[in-house]
Amino acid sequence: MHRRTAIRNLALIIGGAALLPACMQEKGKPSIALKNVDLNADQEKLVGDIAETIIPKTSTPGAKDLGLHLFVLKMLDDCYKKDDQQAFITGAGQFTDAVSKKYDKLFADLSAKQREEMLLSIEADKDPKSTTFPKELKTFYGIIKGQTVNGYTNSKYFMTRQVVYELVPGRYNARFPYKQKQSA
Amino acid sequence: MANLNIDSVKDRTFDAIVIGSGMSGGWAAKELTDKGLKTLILERGRDVKHNIDYPTTNMYPWEFEHRGEMPMAIQEANPIVNRCYAFHEDAAHFFVKDADHPYVQEKPFDWIRGYQVGGKSLLWARQTQRWSDFDFEGPARDGFAVDWPIRYKDIAPWYSYVEKFAGISGNKDGLAELPDGEFLPAFPLNTVETYFSEHVKSKYSNRHVISARCAHLSKPNQIHIDQGRVQCQRRNLCQRGCPFGGYFSANASTIPWALKSGHATLRPFSVVQEIIYDEKLGKATGVRVIDANTKEAIEYFAKIIFVNAAALNTNLVLLNSTSNRFPNGLGNDSGVLGKYVAFHNYSAHISAEYDGAKDWTTDGRNPAGGGYIPRFRNVYKQETDFLRGYASGFSAYRYQQRPWDGVGSSLKENLVKDDLSGWKVGSHMMGETIPKEHSYVALDKTLKDQWGIPQLKISVDYDDNDAKMKKDYIEQLTEMFTSAGFTNIKASSDQRAPGLDIHEMGGARMGNDPKTSVLNKWNQMHDVKNVFVTDGASMTSTSCQNPSLTYMAFTARAADYAVGELKKGNI
Repeated sequence: MHRRTAIRNLALIIGGAALLPACMQEKGKPSIALKNVDLNADQEKLVGDIAETIIPKTSTPGAKDLGLHLFVLKMLDDCYKKDDQQAFITGAGQFTDAVSKKYDKLFADLSAKQREEMLLSIEADKDPKSTTFPKELKTFYGIIKGQTVNGYTNSKYFMTRQVVYELVPGRYNARFPYKQKQSA
Repeated sequence: MANLNIDSVKDRTFDAIVIGSGMSGGWAAKELTDKGLKTLILERGRDVKHNIDYPTTNMYPWEFEHRGEMPMAIQEANPIVNRCYAFHEDAAHFFVKDADHPYVQEKPFDWIRGYQVGGKSLLWARQTQRWSDFDFEGPARDGFAVDWPIRYKDIAPWYSYVEKFAGISGNKDGLAELPDGEFLPAFPLNTVETYFSEHVKSKYSNRHVISARCAHLSKPNQIHIDQGRVQCQRRNLCQRGCPFGGYFSANASTIPWALKSGHATLRPFSVVQEIIYDEKLGKATGVRVIDANTKEAIEYFAKIIFVNAAALNTNLVLLNSTSNRFPNGLGNDSGVLGKYVAFHNYSAHISAEYDGAKDWTTDGRNPAGGGYIPRFRNVYKQETDFLRGYASGFSAYRYQQRPWDGVGSSLKENLVKDDLSGWKVGSHMMGETIPKEHSYVALDKTLKDQWGIPQLKISVDYDDNDAKMKKDYIEQLTEMFTSAGFTNIKASSDQRAPGLDIHEMGGARMGNDPKTSVLNKWNQMHDVKNVFVTDGASMTSTSCQNPSLTYMAFTARAADYAVGELKKGNI
């Protein structure tokens, strides 16, 4: 519940609705079949690079290892309103433009540090009235951020190796020491 | 019809027919078959066999395609059921979709339905409180509806009877307004719930915060083991159907029990069109069903009929059962059938924080959900400018604080942090509403469903009493929260339509006078003595307690009476 609310809030804070038409895309097909969103292979790669920047491979798996970028696209395709899906496509173009304006490069060609810097600058633009970044760009990023973290924290890897999910707790202790919980 | 020969009629003849297989129908089936009656259980939806038909019950979060969230296309196609708190990827298959079963909203009404064996007993929130004489004497004392034809002493032994079988956990709290029952051990209040309970007790003589009583096997007895059920494993995934039978559902309990007797026949996909009334005999002789798949009409016959189709559908079946004798619906000489429908007002909530008890948290999950505050308004006498009162849920919790800000390895580190928030507390209102003649359901004159049965038209709304009661709930709980030292208190009132509480009741109310009620004190139709209605439709008023336990008790009591009358040759 909190997780879902958080995703929605993030989308609300970062994004807004847009009614701009999606551009015609003919630059190759994405690797997963989408029903409602017209996305090309370049855009899919961009989503993957952003997701990998959010959850990078370290000593533990990153977004691409866990297929989180495909989960982002799946959720975008199935669980968002048409307005948000259109804003996502528009925002993808605006994102590439913003990267190009700042670094004169594609996002894929930035260093890891520059990628983080770019994403953090979008997260820092929290004021809904701010015009630093266009609202579709913020919807685009907000959906990727929210669903990458959602996919990560609900992945089998995370729920079996990081914070273990119990399907069958078999117990309810109504008064339990906080310290013991932290060291569990 | 070639197969309408004598043998066929014999094959379609039973001692009893039960319409509906959910919370109350399951009980009717169990009781009638326990007493040896050859019983046909009719269910309009599909069969849901315990365990076998719980496809999501053992799924991990990552195994859900959208991690639990409903796809937007389904949400947009189902605005009504999508408003239900439990309509998610793990349980959506147990809910009726809007387009499949349309109805007419003369006023907005979110009609949440579960058309399958077990009905909504698979999906309920499992809160189980007895009603008291403060409830059964309410209409007479406060001058609304009609007097209940029973008092607490009439139903008390039947509460005990069903509680022992269903398995109810709770404490003996010794409160007149919320009588104690046959309890399994309660799920205890946590640290802050206990703090609030003690604070309220010290400050108010008539207000209590107790462990919520619920239909979970905290510690099963032999009778539960005999049903094939075992201890509740504190999964809190109940809406998926429980492989342990840890909570009471018709699927885990009454229906398999009835089938095991050898006296029951379960017929899913049987949409009841009407109850057949024989004018010469002066009683009902059977029911006509439409097979949901083949659309074929088939008649079944029995000596007694229990109508347990769920409150509003029971009204629909009775209203659609017309004859020369009963042109306005079966047993409707009074003209009140379909009227005096009421519900529970759940439209207010309060949240706050408690800056203390930071050394304590909880471990595992609490299937009871936390605390329950029984009604404290207008209990012994009228003391406010509104009638009746409200119960309140109360719970306290801490959640994992895992900041989502930032990206990269620092974000990954944040997401595994063990830090808990401070304590949050919350309460929601459960208000009694007043049944009124103009709160009604009726058959639509033109619109029909896919089986040719008239659609139900619903016209139920809040009133001024509800608004005043809601204001009082917010004021009183705010005062109690403030007094307990809670901070950041936020009261909210939502605009939900009636129905979303899923506690709709009435339409075929019980009463002493056949001129103003449909059923007598045995849930028996005044005008058709071999027809019994023991689901929500029978309720004269709504109390503010959850109703399911009371439906169970009324059903067992009525079945006992019906079989007695049958044996005496009275029906």
